[in-house]
Amino acid sequence: MKADRRWTPYLLVAPAFLLFAFVVLIPAVLNTALSVMDWSGTNQMTFVGLDNFFRAFRDDIYLMAYRNTFVYIGLTLILEVLAGLILAGLVTMRGRRTAFYRIAFFVPVMLPMVVIAVLWAFVYSDDIGLINSGLRAIGLDEWAPVWLGDPSTALIAVSVVSGWIYAGFYMAIFYAALQRIPTHIVEAATLDGASQWRIFFSIRVPMIRPIIEIAVLLCVTGAFQRLRPVLRHDQRRSGPRDRDHHDLSGRGRLPLPQPGLRRRARNHHDRRGARPRLRLHPDPGPRGGSRP
Amino acid sequence: MSTERTRTERTRRRLAPRTAAVIYHVVMVTASLFFVVPLIWMVASSFKTKREIFESPFAPPTSLDLTVWTSAWERGDLGVYALNSVLTTVVSVAGILVFGLLAAYAFSRFRFRLSRWLLLPFVLGLLLPVQSYITAQSRWLDAFYLLDTRWALILPYIGLGLSLAVFLLKGYLDTLPRELFEAARIDGAGDFRMLVQLVLPLMRPGLATVATFSILSCWNEFLLAMLYIQDEDLRTIPIGLLAFTGKYSTDYPTLFAALSIITIPMIGIYVIFHRQVISGITEGSVH
Repeated sequence: MKADRRWTPYLLVAPAFLLFAFVVLIPAVLNTALSVMDWSGTNQMTFVGLDNFFRAFRDDIYLMAYRNTFVYIGLTLILEVLAGLILAGLVTMRGRRTAFYRIAFFVPVMLPMVVIAVLWAFVYSDDIGLINSGLRAIGLDEWAPVWLGDPSTALIAVSVVSGWIYAGFYMAIFYAALQRIPTHIVEAATLDGASQWRIFFSIRVPMIRPIIEIAVLLCVTGAFQRLRPVLRHDQRRSGPRDRDHHDLSGRGRLPLPQPGLRRRARNHHDRRGARPRLRLHPDPGPRGGSRP
Repeated sequence: MSTERTRTERTRRRLAPRTAAVIYHVVMVTASLFFVVPLIWMVASSFKTKREIFESPFAPPTSLDLTVWTSAWERGDLGVYALNSVLTTVVSVAGILVFGLLAAYAFSRFRFRLSRWLLLPFVLGLLLPVQSYITAQSRWLDAFYLLDTRWALILPYIGLGLSLAVFLLKGYLDTLPRELFEAARIDGAGDFRMLVQLVLPLMRPGLATVATFSILSCWNEFLLAMLYIQDEDLRTIPIGLLAFTGKYSTDYPTLFAALSIITIPMIGIYVIFHRQVISGITEGSVH
């Protein structure tokens, strides 16, 4: 559509764009400039060209993190987006009395990360954990792995946790979109004898396709920058540190502006508390940083 | 074949709507429990002793003593932090919603020359981790004397939230039928009138969804709040809790009490907001 006046769209976009440029774009450009410099945060900057990049790509751990990130993205697409879509479908399947379920599915998104870490530590723990106790109870001792310590299970275990957290987030996104589908379309399909499954996959899902695309984009980008579930689990002493270090965003050390902070952050890292090790780690920030 | 199947479907539904409803609700309640139990566990654990938490983590508490909660509130200075969090969150979310809706409306409804180029940075915002430019951002904000003020959090929160808000709102707007706007145009509505009288009521579910996410992410934001705020009196809850976990790192009951205190209001807010999400398109277009 054409606007009434030519400048209207620009006027509408201006506040968002200018603010975004001020806090994200300009710093991002400045930071890219930093990537070709040798600088520890306090000393004089010197230009070193692409040296930092060569160093990063020669680092095995960094490359491992890259590969693991892609595996993690694949897993979270299934466990978060697909699960969220199915939950949204279940919620919209019948009438209106679904408020309780919607709130319930969303609860993990609202829980402080500390709680999630402690809880899943109780679930995954190799000796007293919920899963392994269950497996032992039915006589499957040798099937009980050290969930977070075994390289072959750790990434899956962490993905299950993020699926558990974010499935509700995507459910909420899809639910809002499904609400927008005119009811007469669904009613017409019902009259034509379409089953609930048919209505969901042939009508509802195609109609909210723009939102599903956004969700996939959010999931992929979110998985790339996600710090929360991963750090808390894989930095436990038993964790296979390098093998599972898939978290790209957590790799570098930041030259922080105030020395006091640096100290506190380090102390915080070094302290190893009682079992289950419970630690607050930096959140990725308002996601999109904007996922909680 | 397919007609046959749908016919059996129909008979089955006609025969046993009750049974179907029961099965549905049993499945849904089971699924809900899977997601809710940790919350209950957290609240329950705050009433237990440390020993009970470790020895019988899933047993219900033996007594309901609220003094843990009051002492957690006082010892953790949660009042000051809560006020800061509320202020920061409210201003940020208002900014995200207003600016985000204006931009999304323009991107979704109008074709203009620079639209692609103006939208691109917001995609970039979704892709860039905050950590990747935080170093430059802190220097940049410092240059404007913004560090250690509320604006040091509010401005980045709005900026970061806008990426998601613009995208989601644009997505929701794109699903609105074109005819609605054409009809409004024929009825003589201008661009701004359409925004206020057509888009705003129709976008209530989308806005409520974005508001929920924005509130949550601002409320729980940790990294920037830790880096940009030194002043004790301006600290938000996540940083307050960090100090708290440091001081009482092994005092799990108090810790869980504090966590419950900050989580339960969030759930209350969600319960209020999710009502907004319900209103469907048919109600909206009647106006």
